[in-house]
Amino acid sequence: MTAALLPVPLCDYVALSAVMFFIGVAGVIVRRNPLVMLMSIELMFNAANLAFVAYARAWLNNAGHIFAFLVITVAAAEAAIALAIVVVTFRASERVDVDEVRALHG
Amino acid sequence: MILIALLVPLAGAVLCWALGPWLRAAAGWLATAAVAASFGLILATGSGSQALFSWMPGFDFGLTLDRLSLLWALVITGVGFLIHLYSIGYMHGDRAFARFFAYMNFFIFAMLLLVLSDNWIGLLVGWGLVGLASYFLIGFWFERPSAVAAARKAFVINVVGDVGMMFAIFLIVANVHSIRFADTFSAVATLGAPVVFAICFGLFVGAAAKSAQVPLHAWLPDAMEGPTPVSALIHAATMVTAGVYLVARCAPLWDQSASAQMLVGTVGAVTAIGGAILGASQWDIKRILAYSTMSQIGYMIMGVGVGAYAGGIAHFFTHAFFKAQLFLASGIIIHALNNEQDVRLMGGLTKRMPLAFWGILTGVLAISGIPGFSGFFSKDQVIAGALAHGHPWMYAVGIATAGITAYYMFRLLFVTFLGEYRGNVDPAALGIARSTGSAQARELAAPHKPHHQAPSWIMGLPVAVLIVPTVFSGWLLFGSSVAPSLWTRFFAVQFAPSGTAPASVPEWVTTLVTFAVVLAGIGVATWRYATRSARANAVARLRNETLRMPKVLANAYYVDALIDVVFVRGAQILGAIFSRVVDPYVIDGAVRESAASAQALGTAMRALQSGFVRAYAFVLVLGVGCFLAYYYFVGAR
Repeated sequence: MTAALLPVPLCDYVALSAVMFFIGVAGVIVRRNPLVMLMSIELMFNAANLAFVAYARAWLNNAGHIFAFLVITVAAAEAAIALAIVVVTFRASERVDVDEVRALHG
Repeated sequence: MILIALLVPLAGAVLCWALGPWLRAAAGWLATAAVAASFGLILATGSGSQALFSWMPGFDFGLTLDRLSLLWALVITGVGFLIHLYSIGYMHGDRAFARFFAYMNFFIFAMLLLVLSDNWIGLLVGWGLVGLASYFLIGFWFERPSAVAAARKAFVINVVGDVGMMFAIFLIVANVHSIRFADTFSAVATLGAPVVFAICFGLFVGAAAKSAQVPLHAWLPDAMEGPTPVSALIHAATMVTAGVYLVARCAPLWDQSASAQMLVGTVGAVTAIGGAILGASQWDIKRILAYSTMSQIGYMIMGVGVGAYAGGIAHFFTHAFFKAQLFLASGIIIHALNNEQDVRLMGGLTKRMPLAFWGILTGVLAISGIPGFSGFFSKDQVIAGALAHGHPWMYAVGIATAGITAYYMFRLLFVTFLGEYRGNVDPAALGIARSTGSAQARELAAPHKPHHQAPSWIMGLPVAVLIVPTVFSGWLLFGSSVAPSLWTRFFAVQFAPSGTAPASVPEWVTTLVTFAVVLAGIGVATWRYATRSARANAVARLRNETLRMPKVLANAYYVDALIDVVFVRGAQILGAIFSRVVDPYVIDGAVRESAASAQALGTAMRALQSGFVRAYAFVLVLGVGCFLAYYYFVGAR
């Protein structure tokens, strides 16, 4: 009903969001550098944010915006903790490779 | 009144137990007074019954004092009183004087409970408690390993009997739905013959264990490890005759089952002659008396088994006196000779202990069945009863046993009292092999050190008093078919007259034959031990007899060895099987196997925890993919 208000069709936003999300997923699965994996995770967060904001704008419902802000704060917190862990493991092993960090394997 | 008579000895036991350290010597008098009071109360009550309480329908508890239980209760408390009195002297100076009397009073209570109960459960409780009292008193000198072993043996064999009785009572309750004797006996005609036989069999297993009948007799000779008054009271006069009481009490059951009568009569006859033969081969004065007790109870069991109830319990009545008499008199000897029990080391005691001599002499005459003495009348009744109820071979066994009895009792008398005192003779010269060589070592091994401070009349009086019933109690049985004896008339209301075949042999012939056999037995004993040459060569002759004693008799027919092989080894083998197979492989096996399977599961699951973060992420994505695929293809419901 209100999709006409957008200069770009909603479908494109959602498609972009999906593409970004799957690029993030592929990055987490295939890359071994923890920094790149973190960036991929951020990409997934942002893909989700884009979907939230697009729908919120399209349906004129502000709940999506609020969720986007929440996701941003969570992403910030997550980035802070994850980078700290990366720094600590780097100090311990002198390597930046998540496959080397498996002291808790069965 | 009946309840009070029952509870007075219990109160005495509790007081002696609790206040023993304060009462000291007074404990003996307290216990004796309790038994005397109980005797008086029973005598004053005479007859009657008393309902106590009802537990649930069919389970009514009460006490009864009919003629059968009256007789038993009077013997228990009467002879018990004399033996308590005697014990004050015998146990004087013992470390656990009060404990002894607590146990003795407890025994009197348990035995009264056994005979006064009017129901099966009360009977069974009394039955178990007398076994417990017997256990306490056999093992009274628990510093002595042999006493502890004997106590344990007695208890275990008695429990075998208790279990048999219990199953009989289960059968009764299941079929009659009441625990009272009266209900059981009135319902007995409606029970089938197999049920009656099964009940009788179970009851008789109990009776045989308690009364030391073959094959459950092995505990009685060992029970002589207890103090002599205990042997006199429990293992001669009262407790061991509980089996006779049980069969007499259950006369209506036995009357219904000829095979049960046959069983009991046979066991009694076998025990009578088997015990008598063993009695002739023993050297320990108390063991001779123990085997003689076993043999005499065999007579009683045979009597009540064949249906001659009045005769069987008459023998109980006279036996209680003369056997208590024999034990108490031999206790005087044992006491004076510092715990010497081997008759080979006695001899020549007539002058030294005239009272013991007269006590044992009257006892021997009574048990041998010399006319005029008590045993003559009662034994005759049993032997004649066996024939009258149609068991000629039991009759023959009874007569033969009477001869052997006369032989071994006169042997005891002669070896103990005639000739020279042999206490100073080297035991080896008499053929005695002792592990602990010196008399000093033996004395150290015996914890009971007789003290002679006790006034001698305390031990003498009961023996002197018992001479009277030992000699005269049989006269109650004197009568004929025309003028029935006091005894017959007294028990006529107790036992239903059973059909007795007219005796094919007149009673006076039986009496004469028995007496002739008895005289023959006395003759052999005289020839072997009392002639002038026998007395002169006593040491050499006793040595010869000891060395030539057949092994089978010296080992009591190897019954202990048989029990050892069959039950003890059997139990050990079973235990070995359980400890080597069942325990490690079945019980531990189950525990170990469940632990091992949990561990194996853990090992298998552990492989999934690779530690690769990316692998976890992939699994996560795969899971999400699965969800999405599910909702895409199946759709949300």
